[in-house]
Amino acid sequence: MDETTTGDEGSEFDPQAAARLLETTKRRARRQFEFPSPLLTVIQAVALLAAYGAIWLSVRGQNPYSGPSGAALVELYAFIAVASVAVGFEARRARAGVSGRSSRQQWSLAIPLVAAFLAVYVLMGALRYDGFSYAIVYGIMPAAGPLIVVGAAMAGYAAAREDWQMLGLSVALVAVGAGSAFAGPSGVWGVAGVGFCAVLVCRAIVQVWQRRA
Amino acid sequence: MATDALDPLIHVPARLRIVATLAALPDGDALSFTRLQKMIGLTPGNLITHLRKLEDAGYLSTEKTGNGVASRTSVALSNRGRSALETYTAALRNLLAGL
Repeated sequence: MDETTTGDEGSEFDPQAAARLLETTKRRARRQFEFPSPLLTVIQAVALLAAYGAIWLSVRGQNPYSGPSGAALVELYAFIAVASVAVGFEARRARAGVSGRSSRQQWSLAIPLVAAFLAVYVLMGALRYDGFSYAIVYGIMPAAGPLIVVGAAMAGYAAAREDWQMLGLSVALVAVGAGSAFAGPSGVWGVAGVGFCAVLVCRAIVQVWQRRA
Repeated sequence: MATDALDPLIHVPARLRIVATLAALPDGDALSFTRLQKMIGLTPGNLITHLRKLEDAGYLSTEKTGNGVASRTSVALSNRGRSALETYTAALRNLLAGL
């Protein structure tokens, strides 16, 4: 049947063909609107593992802890930049032509996330000013802090929207952040990196599974 | 096969694809005419004709913003359209289960 015609040939449209067309169209549309895609989630996971891993390699074995090297920090920001570019590209692809409530909600989510993220760095400055050690200020805090506060902000947002998948992801991030702090100022980078990467890979697997369901 | 139970407004390939595509968006979201056309693969004229039929039935709403070359038409599935698709899907399922 020519699907580009405007005629109301509904009675000739076989229900089995209709069911197939409905399923295919829904699946294809969901995939096109999906953000982030499983591939992007995996790219983010690899970038974060590489970023945290670079820091961990530069600080492991330090005694006393003196913080990451300049090269490791450059590598960290380079991976964050790559991940950000990939996110921006994907967001443009998925959200092209889409307007309305979910776009506004995404912008409103950005506000608490940025505020929470910046608060970690303000807190680091305050702790250093108050005389806390390098190990706390430049070890535990920058590695675990963002996961805890950003995860908590995302969890609140997800709970309000009853987005259970995002809530699970957010709580897992909080757990990884809090748990990784036990690994000490050097180990926290490795544990948080692996944990964060594992959470994102699990998310990508769930996304792929949902696509097929 | 008896297709009387199926909503004749939706039970047309092009309109089924339009409604199913719009239903994939979260409730309260709209899609630009240009992207919808790209996703469905209809000519602008055909798409407008189908959209008008669906809009007349209250299944979707269109909104035009801007003027001239900057004008943009957005299409959104209404609550009525969403529930019509649900009813259609259920009727289709019943019909196929009875085979």
